[in-house]
Amino acid sequence: MKTSEFIVRRIILLIPVMIGVTVFTFSIAQIIPADPAAILCGERCGLVDPVTGKTMLELQRERLGLDEPVVEQFRLYLVNLAEGDWGDSTTYNRPTSEVVRDAAPVTLEMALFALLMAYPIGITLGILSAVWQDQVFDHISRFLAIAFVSLPIFWLAMMLQLIFGTGPDVGGICDPIFGTEGGCLPIYGRHDTALTYPDRTSSLCDTAISGIACYPSWYPSGGTGFHLVDSWFVTDEALANIHPDYSSNSKLFNDTLVHLVLPSFTLGIASAGSLLRYMRASLLEVMNEDYVRTARAKGLSESRVILVHACRNALVPILTILGFSIGGAIGGAVLTESIFAFYGMGNVAVDAIINLDYSVLMGVTLITAIIFLMSNLIVDILYGVVDPRVRLE
Amino acid sequence: MSEESSPLIEIRNARKWFPIKAGMFSPVTAHVRAVDGVDLDIQRGETVGIVGESGCGKTTLGRLIMGLIPRTEGTIQFEGVDIYSMKRKELRRRLQIVFQDPGGSMNPRMSVRSIIAEPLIVNGLADGAELTKKVADLLTIVGLKPNHMTRFPHEFSGGQKQRIALARALSLDPDFILLDEPTSALDVSVQAQVLNLLDSIQKERGLTFIFITHSLNVVNHISDRVAVMYLGKIVEIAKTDELFANPAHPYTHALLSAIPQPTVEDKKKERIVLSGDVPSPANPPTGCSFHTRCPIAVEGKCDVVEPELNVVLGGHKVACHFPVEAGGSLPMVDD
Amino acid sequence: MSWEDGSEDRAESRRRILERAAQAKYDLQRGWKIYRRSLLAVAGLLMVISISVVSIFADDIAVEHPGRNLQDTRDVWHIDYEPRKAAPFSEECDTRNQKVSLTTLRRWDANGTNALSPVKIAEDNSFYEDILVVTEFKEVVDRNGNSISLDLVYLDPTNNSYFWIADELMENNSVTQIKLIYKFENEEMHHWWMPEGYDVCIFGTNDEGQDLFSKILYGSRVSLTIGFTVATLTVIIGTIIGSISGYFGGRVDEVIMRITDIFFAVPGLILALAFVAALQAIDNLAIPLALAFLPLILMLIVPFRSAIISVFMPGSEDTLSRIEPAALLAVGLVAVLLLPLGLYGIWEGLFETSDTRTWRLFFTFIVISVFAGLLTLDSRMTKNFSIEGFSERALNTLNWKNPYRYLTLRTAIIFFAAIILFSWSDDADNQIVIIDNFDRLWKIQIALVFTGWPGYARLIRGQVLYVKEMTFVEAAKSVGAPSGRIMFRHILPNAWAPLLVAFTLDIGGTILSASGLSFIGLGAEPGAAEWGKLVSDGRAHFPQDYWLVLFPGLAIAYTTLGFNLLGDGLRDVVDPKNRR
Repeated sequence: MKTSEFIVRRIILLIPVMIGVTVFTFSIAQIIPADPAAILCGERCGLVDPVTGKTMLELQRERLGLDEPVVEQFRLYLVNLAEGDWGDSTTYNRPTSEVVRDAAPVTLEMALFALLMAYPIGITLGILSAVWQDQVFDHISRFLAIAFVSLPIFWLAMMLQLIFGTGPDVGGICDPIFGTEGGCLPIYGRHDTALTYPDRTSSLCDTAISGIACYPSWYPSGGTGFHLVDSWFVTDEALANIHPDYSSNSKLFNDTLVHLVLPSFTLGIASAGSLLRYMRASLLEVMNEDYVRTARAKGLSESRVILVHACRNALVPILTILGFSIGGAIGGAVLTESIFAFYGMGNVAVDAIINLDYSVLMGVTLITAIIFLMSNLIVDILYGVVDPRVRLE
Repeated sequence: MSEESSPLIEIRNARKWFPIKAGMFSPVTAHVRAVDGVDLDIQRGETVGIVGESGCGKTTLGRLIMGLIPRTEGTIQFEGVDIYSMKRKELRRRLQIVFQDPGGSMNPRMSVRSIIAEPLIVNGLADGAELTKKVADLLTIVGLKPNHMTRFPHEFSGGQKQRIALARALSLDPDFILLDEPTSALDVSVQAQVLNLLDSIQKERGLTFIFITHSLNVVNHISDRVAVMYLGKIVEIAKTDELFANPAHPYTHALLSAIPQPTVEDKKKERIVLSGDVPSPANPPTGCSFHTRCPIAVEGKCDVVEPELNVVLGGHKVACHFPVEAGGSLPMVDD
Repeated sequence: MSWEDGSEDRAESRRRILERAAQAKYDLQRGWKIYRRSLLAVAGLLMVISISVVSIFADDIAVEHPGRNLQDTRDVWHIDYEPRKAAPFSEECDTRNQKVSLTTLRRWDANGTNALSPVKIAEDNSFYEDILVVTEFKEVVDRNGNSISLDLVYLDPTNNSYFWIADELMENNSVTQIKLIYKFENEEMHHWWMPEGYDVCIFGTNDEGQDLFSKILYGSRVSLTIGFTVATLTVIIGTIIGSISGYFGGRVDEVIMRITDIFFAVPGLILALAFVAALQAIDNLAIPLALAFLPLILMLIVPFRSAIISVFMPGSEDTLSRIEPAALLAVGLVAVLLLPLGLYGIWEGLFETSDTRTWRLFFTFIVISVFAGLLTLDSRMTKNFSIEGFSERALNTLNWKNPYRYLTLRTAIIFFAAIILFSWSDDADNQIVIIDNFDRLWKIQIALVFTGWPGYARLIRGQVLYVKEMTFVEAAKSVGAPSGRIMFRHILPNAWAPLLVAFTLDIGGTILSASGLSFIGLGAEPGAAEWGKLVSDGRAHFPQDYWLVLFPGLAIAYTTLGFNLLGDGLRDVVDPKNRR
C-alpha cells in the first residue's frame, strides 16, 4: 500500500467517528437543562413583538430552530457546523467558534510543551531503568513511574506553586538557592501581568484604535495564539508599546517560556510516568532480540548497542502513546488551567458547565475530539512511515 | 445386510471455503478453499486415516464432519441423516473428537472430573453420585486411577492428558470418534501406548475412527484405509497395505519416499524431493492441483483438466490422469 | 423419598464445593508467593489495607464529626465556637476555645456553664458533647478580642468542669459574649494514636475551625465508596458489552467497537464534564416500572431465537451456523419496545384491584413461572423434547434432598428476580427508584461509569477473542455445551485475570478523577468531607495556609498510589510468564 493511500484510508476511517462525536455533543445539548432561547432573550422574553405578535422567547426559539423536530435540528446543527457557525456563547456573548479559537491554542501550546518536557524525562529514565534492570535505580524509577500517575495534578500544581513560586516564609525553596525574591518561577498567567500581550484580545493590535500593527502583514492579524511562536514575530513598534522591560522579541519569548514551565511540568508528569514504563518494557523486549545479540557479538560497546541498535527500535512502539498523551494532557488542562490562570479550553469548559453554556460545551468537546483524532492520525501516519509493516494490515 | 453395506458416514462433495475480506463493508475478495470437494465413505467399525501436509485441509475436513463449522456446500450424512439437520444433542452424543493438543483442549481451571463429566452434564445423562462413578469408570478404562479426578490438567503428562481427553470422548458412548492428530504432540514411546489403547478400546466397543495425522508411520500402524489429501482434495484412497505397497498418485509416492527406511539392504529407495511450495489454497492451480509440483505432469492435460477420483487397480481410488502402475516408480527429476 | 436417600448426592456436592475451595486456596497461595516477591507491591497492599481500616473505623479515630459547623451546634444554646484556623501542631491546637453567650445565660438565669468538647457523633447518628475536665485556665476575651480579667470567670472548686461567671460580668449588659480558652484533661478525649500532649488538629483546622484530620478521615469513606462503586459498575457493564462483542463477533462487534471509538475520541475528563452537565436536571434516578421487564424479555429472546429465525430467515435453521446477530438485535429491539407496553396494562389492572402482600407474592410467582415456562417452550427445545423421563427430570430439578444443588447461578438468578419483582411491584409511582438521592456525587459517579466502560469493553473483548480460539472451547462445543455454559464456565474464568488488574488500577484512577471533578466544583457539595473539595476549599487560603491543600492532596495521592501499586503487583501475579 502506498503511503498516500494509507493516509487517505485513515482519514476516511475518521469520518464515522466524527459523526458519532457530533451525535454525542448534540444529545448532550438536548438533555442539558437550559433553554438557550430563554438565556439569550433574558428579561425581554415576555415582550411581544408588535409585527408578528409573538413573544421574544418564541422568536428566539424560531431563530435557533428549536421549534423544529429533533432530526431537523440535528441536520441544522451539522450544516451550521460545516459552515463554521458553532452557535453563540451565552456567557461570553461571542460566537462559540471565536471562543474556541482563542482558547484552543492556549491549551495546545501548554500540552505540547508538556510533552516536550515529559518525553526526555520519561525516555531517559526508562532507558536507564532497563539498562540497570532489577537494580536499585530500576526499583526507584519504577516506583516513580507509578507515583507520577498517582498524583492528583490539581494538587501537584499548587504544591509546585508553593515550592517554586513563594518565599521561604511560606515554603518556597528558590530564594535561598537562587537569591530570588518570592520564588523563581511565575505561578500565574501566560505572561507578565505588567504587559499587555499583543494578541487578539488586546486593543493594542486593533489598528483602528492604536494604529499599530502588532505582526507583519503576512502573519495572522492578532497572532496565532501560540505565544511561543508569536513572540518572535511581534513588530518593534508593538514591542515598544507593551512594556519598557520587554523591548526585544527574545525577552518576550523568555517571559512566555518561564510562564509555561510549571503548568506544562504539571501536565507532563503523568505522561512521563507512563512513558517510563513503556520505554522500559519496550527496551527490555528489544534487548532480547537476535539483532541486539548479534550487535553485542560483533564486539560493539554496550552503550553503542543500547543507544544505536536497541533504542532505535524500542522507540517505535513509544510513538503510539504520543497520541494518547496529548489527549491526557488536554484532559488534565481542565483541572490545572484555573490554578495557573490560563484561559484555555479547560477553563472555558468548566465555565461552560457552571453556566450551562451548552453551545460552548459542545464546541469544546468537538474541538478536543478533532485535536485528539488529528494527533492520533499524525501518529498513525508517522508510525506507518517508521514501520512499514503497519501499512500492510 | 443393507445395514452392513450402508456406510456410517457418507461425505459427498463437501466444500468449505473461508471468505477473505478486508473489513466489514469491503467485498469478499477471495476464498481460501480449505476443503474443496471431498467424497468419502466411512464404514462401521473401521479406522480411516487421513494424511497430508499441514494446510491441506485435513483438520477442516474433520471439523466439517463433526459439524463444528458450517459447510459451504455438499452433504455429510451420519447413518443416512444429514448431520446439520440432526438434533444437536444426538449429533454430539454419537460423534466425538479428540484434539491434537491434549493440554490446550482442557480448561485449565476445571478439575479432571469436571472435564470428563462435562459431556454428561450438558447432555443431562448423569448427575450426583452416579456421575462420579461414571467418571471413575472412564478413568479406569483409559488406564488412569479414579483418584486422579480431583486433580487439574497441568498436573499430568502429555500422554496422561491425552488419556483424559479420550475418556471425555468416550463418556457419551459415541459410535464414532474423530482423532485429530492425537499423538503428534507426544513422545514416540508414549505415542505407542496411546495408539495401543485406542486400538483396544476400538475393538472392545466397536468404534469407528477417523485418524487425522501427518505421520505415515502412525497411519500405517492404526488404519484400515488411508486417504491422502492435497490442497483440500482427496488425491488417493486405498486399503492401508495396498496404498503403502503400490502408491498410485505421484504425491503419495513422494510422501512415502520421505519415510526414513530403517533397513539398508532393502531395495534402495530414491527419495523424491518435490520442487516448489504448496500453492496457496486461496488461489489453487487450474486443472490438477498437484501439477505445479508433479514430476510427471503433462502440459496441456494436467494443467487444464481436473482429474476425478477414479478406481484403478486393486481397489485404489486415485485422482490422477497418469496414475503410477503397481510396482512402478516415478521418473526422477534432475534439478 | 427421605432425607437419608440423598446422602450420597449430598456428599458428592459437598466434595465438589470443597474441591473448588481447595482450588481457590491453591490459586491464592500461588498468587501470594509471586506477589510478595515485590516490595513495592506489598507496600501497596499495606497502603490499601491501612486506608480501608481508617475509613471503617473513622468514627473511632476522628476527633470530631466532619460535618460539625455552626448550624449543627445551634440547638446547644449555651455554647458556640469561634471559628479559628490553626496550623498543624500549633499552640492553638492544644487548647479549647469555647464561646459563651452571656445574653443567653442571662435569659436562663444561669451563672455558669460546663466545659464541653467539640461535637461528636453517636452510634445512632445523633450529636453529643463530652464534658471536659479543665486543667489550666488560660484566657478570657470578649467579643472583640479584648482580654477580660481572669478573676471574672473562675472554675468551680468542687467541679473542674464548671465555670462560674462573676456577677460583675453578668450584670454588665455591654458584654454579650465571652470566649474561654483553657487546657483540659480527659481520658476519652485523648486519642491513643496521637502524640503525647496533642489532642486535636495534627493536620490543623480550617477557617471554620473544623479539624482537618477528621475531615480527611471521613473523606476516605467517600473516596473509597466512589472508587469501588464506579470501578465495579464499569467492570460489569464493560464485561457484558465486551463479551457480547467478542463472543458474537461480526457486525455486532463492529458496531460496538465503532461506538467505543467515539468515546476514545474525546478525553475522558471532558466527556465526563459534558455528561455531568447533561445530568444536572435529574433529581432522582428512576426508571419506569415497565423496564423491569427488560431483563426478562431479553431472557425470552435468547431462547426463542430459533423460533424467531425460522420466521424471519426461513431455511437457515437447519444449519448449525451462528444466528445472524443483526436480525436478532432488530427483533429483540422491537420486542423490547413493544412488549412492556402490553404488560404494563396487565400489571396496572392487577394491582388496582388487589394490592396485597399475598397477591404480590402470587403475581411474582406467576411472572417467573410464565417466563420459565416460555423458556422451555423454545421451538428447538420442543423439537428435541422427549416426554419420556420428563417427570423424573422435573423432579430432579426440584430435588430437595440435596441442598447443595441450589448453589447454582440459575438458582441465584431466579432468587434475585423474585426479590426484585416483589420489591418493585410495591412502588406506587410505577417507577423503580434506583438512586433515591441523586446528588452531585452520584452524578459524577454515573459520568465516570459512562466514560469508563469502553476501556473495559475493549479489554474483555480482546481476552474473549483470545480465549475463544483455544482448543478447550472447541472441545466444549464438540460435546454440545450451550453458549451460556461456554461463556461462563470456559471463557470468562480464563479471561478475567487482566480485568482484575484493570479493576484495581481503575479504583485509583477513579479516585483521582472524582476528586478532580469535585475540585472544579462539580462533585461534592461545598463544605463536604471530600478530598477534592477540601483541596478546592483550601485554595482560597493558599499558599499561606498551605496545610489546607497539602494534607487532603496527600491523602488522594496515598490512596491512589496504594491501589496503583497493588494493581501493578497483581499484574505480575496474573502474567502468564509467571505461571508455576
